[in-house]
Amino acid sequence: MLRFVIHRFLLMIPTLVGVAVIIFLLLRVIPGDVVEAKFMSGEGSGVSAEVLQAERARLGLDKPVWEQFAIWFWGVLKFDFGISMWTGGPISEEIELRFALSLQVALMATIVATLLALPLGIIAALKQDTWVDYAVRIFSIAGLAMPSFWLGILMILGFLIIFEWLPPMIYTPFWVDPWQNMLQLIWPALAVGYRYSAVATRMTRSSMLEVLREDYIRTARAKGLWLKLILVRHALKNAMLPVVTVIGLEFAFLLGGLVVTEQVFNLNGLGLLFVQAISRRDYTLTQALVLLVAAAFIFVNFAMDVMYAWLDPRIRYR
Amino acid sequence: MNRRTLFFAAMLSAAACLFAPAGVRADEKPRSGGELIFPVPSEPPSYDAHREQTFGVIHPVAPHYNGLLRFDPTDPTGTKPVADLAESWTVSEDGLTYTFKLRQGVKFHDGNEMTSKDVKASYDKIIFPPAGVVSDRKGQYAVVKAVEAPDPYTVVFQLKWPAVSFLASLASPWNFIYRADILAKDPHWYETHINGTGPFIFVEHVKGSHWVGKKNPNYWDKGKPYLDGYRALFIKSSSAQVAAIRGERAHIQFRGFSPAERDTLKAALGDKITVAESPWDCLLLVAPNHTKKPFDDKRVRRALTLALDRYAGSKALSKIAIVKEVAGVQVPGTPYATPPEELEKLAGYGKDINAARAEAKKLLKEAGVEDLSFTFSNRGVPMPYEPVAVWLIDQWRQIGVNVKQQVVEAAAYYATLKKGDFEVAMDFQCGYTVEPDLDLYKFTSRSKNPSNYGFYEDKVLDDLYEKQSKAKSVEERKKFVRQFEKRLLDEEAHYLMTLQWHRIIPHSSKVRGWQVTPSHYLNQMLDTVWLADGPTQ
Repeated sequence: MLRFVIHRFLLMIPTLVGVAVIIFLLLRVIPGDVVEAKFMSGEGSGVSAEVLQAERARLGLDKPVWEQFAIWFWGVLKFDFGISMWTGGPISEEIELRFALSLQVALMATIVATLLALPLGIIAALKQDTWVDYAVRIFSIAGLAMPSFWLGILMILGFLIIFEWLPPMIYTPFWVDPWQNMLQLIWPALAVGYRYSAVATRMTRSSMLEVLREDYIRTARAKGLWLKLILVRHALKNAMLPVVTVIGLEFAFLLGGLVVTEQVFNLNGLGLLFVQAISRRDYTLTQALVLLVAAAFIFVNFAMDVMYAWLDPRIRYR
Repeated sequence: MNRRTLFFAAMLSAAACLFAPAGVRADEKPRSGGELIFPVPSEPPSYDAHREQTFGVIHPVAPHYNGLLRFDPTDPTGTKPVADLAESWTVSEDGLTYTFKLRQGVKFHDGNEMTSKDVKASYDKIIFPPAGVVSDRKGQYAVVKAVEAPDPYTVVFQLKWPAVSFLASLASPWNFIYRADILAKDPHWYETHINGTGPFIFVEHVKGSHWVGKKNPNYWDKGKPYLDGYRALFIKSSSAQVAAIRGERAHIQFRGFSPAERDTLKAALGDKITVAESPWDCLLLVAPNHTKKPFDDKRVRRALTLALDRYAGSKALSKIAIVKEVAGVQVPGTPYATPPEELEKLAGYGKDINAARAEAKKLLKEAGVEDLSFTFSNRGVPMPYEPVAVWLIDQWRQIGVNVKQQVVEAAAYYATLKKGDFEVAMDFQCGYTVEPDLDLYKFTSRSKNPSNYGFYEDKVLDDLYEKQSKAKSVEERKKFVRQFEKRLLDEEAHYLMTLQWHRIIPHSSKVRGWQVTPSHYLNQMLDTVWLADGPTQ
């Protein structure tokens, strides 16, 4: 098992290097650059070509692409992602606060989704084709059909119209003021978690239905084992493999993919930062964000692989 | 009362409505205390206003600074320069020397006294930036020969030629006064730090989230500011900004809302909301590319402007978009604006749209392009580019012109314009104050001005620009501005004006002492702003 873990861990490195090369080159293909985005946006009087060139030189954009890559990649190897070309601030500072917020929302949404999906999926499977099953299926299909940002808008409107109240506009870290933190983040976590739970509920239900038809479950029931024990010890653990996959991938997606929901709830998260970085042609920030999200996906995959081995000992890795 | 008197009375009342002071009650005594909270739809790329272009710098950062002059915060046209760090000034008889006496005892937030060497260093950075330092508006100070500091409380500007707009240039909201010692050590220091003489002291900037300032207890203007502090919330989504005001988590957004957003807030909050409106010194323009046929033919360009029913367009578009006033090259109601009855004489501004369109069709026939069709490049920004483009295309269709719209992503848009890779395109201009030197420069020849996306050369227009800039009196300047306008919009139709933007600021009725102006860059020092106890409407 340890050898497998180390092997999987080392495989993450070439994947990340590949991502770094691809994103670096792709960004250079997009028309325009950060200097143009900043000084030719149309609101100002226009800056001379010489000044624009000087600014490019200051940011190192006048160097050949391979040299820019070498400088940046050497920094990355030392965990120095450089400075944002738009703000001039260190990338680590730009990302730090947003990452904490996005991570918390992703974790909370995952908890919401798991708390909803597992019991509902199991009950629906156990009560297949009864009104309980239909109710769960309607609930989960509604979650799939309803974009989380739209649910977020409904929540905001509901708060404003019915309660004349709005969640706080500024992020307060959990360790500073847990109440304020929850008041702000619980709503996006519920909106996102509901859609997320819908996917996981349907996966849990179908996976449980499949496992409940397995021979070993029939044998256990024939032996007269207590149903709860059969479910927890024999069925659920085996049914969890695809559910863990769905939950893991959704979690990684939530870290950087909540662009519209973040706007609806005015969250200062990674999704919005991502969009801004790309539209401003902030190469260094975009590169760092892509690497971060790629690393999150790779790490979640790694964790899932490890969990597969734990959940199902039949899985043997060499 | 005769008809002429009635007409002027109507014009005066219309102007009063346009520039209605919001939240200003002459009989009220300002109340101290409270924190003003306002969303800002953009965020400062750096903190150095000398190099940046976005209002995202001005709104959160301006309250930390003073300029040498400023625009009168009570003037609804935002065009009257008044003293700020300067106490008084004199102008030499030949108009070439401006001497400013500075206030004494003004302290930077770090405790150092502000003197003339700070003003000189700040203006040297703006006008004569050292290598590697970007000064976005350097070109506006080409008239300045030298800045001198003969004693600690006197600053002298020597000009190359007399410039009637010079005081307005010095009142620019971008010209923060920085400390000379700091600039000498590191001219980039102010890009990441704050140290001004303004009414509020910097507390924190949490990137992507908010900016906080607190009252400067040692502010030189005793009794001000009234607020204990302010908090700018960086909120990009307009629906979230509206929700913030509707949920009373914010008092005001200083840039502007759409008519629909104004109506939503007013319907939801009633008297708790006060609406301030003004013509806005921003404009969408149509740039026919003179290097592409048939747009090199002025008959075709005139036909395109004659097709536009601006008055009907104003009625329809002002209900759904942030555009309203029919205007020439100056914002209606401001000192150099052309009166409506004179404006109507320009091509495309007449009230008889049928006659104008008949003439447009005739011109197209004469030019041999009766079945004209072209691609109109538009910027990928919904408000107001989208509705205005739809309106334009419909107007041109009514003279038989078939137009296909091509929407270019916002970030790549100006690169497209710069390359001249278009037939006809939407262009944009927005000023920090209504001033002919600033507003007309864009329309001078391409060889003088790289932001001319019509790609034309017009020496007559360039000459008129110089004449208005160097005019010796307001009346003389008005005459040249009118001639410039006639040549630009009528005789040559180099550019087509659409409709003036309209600034709509629905804000909490608690906000007092703030005057809406045609510029979202002005009146952002917040020294005169105060919060009333509750709604008073």
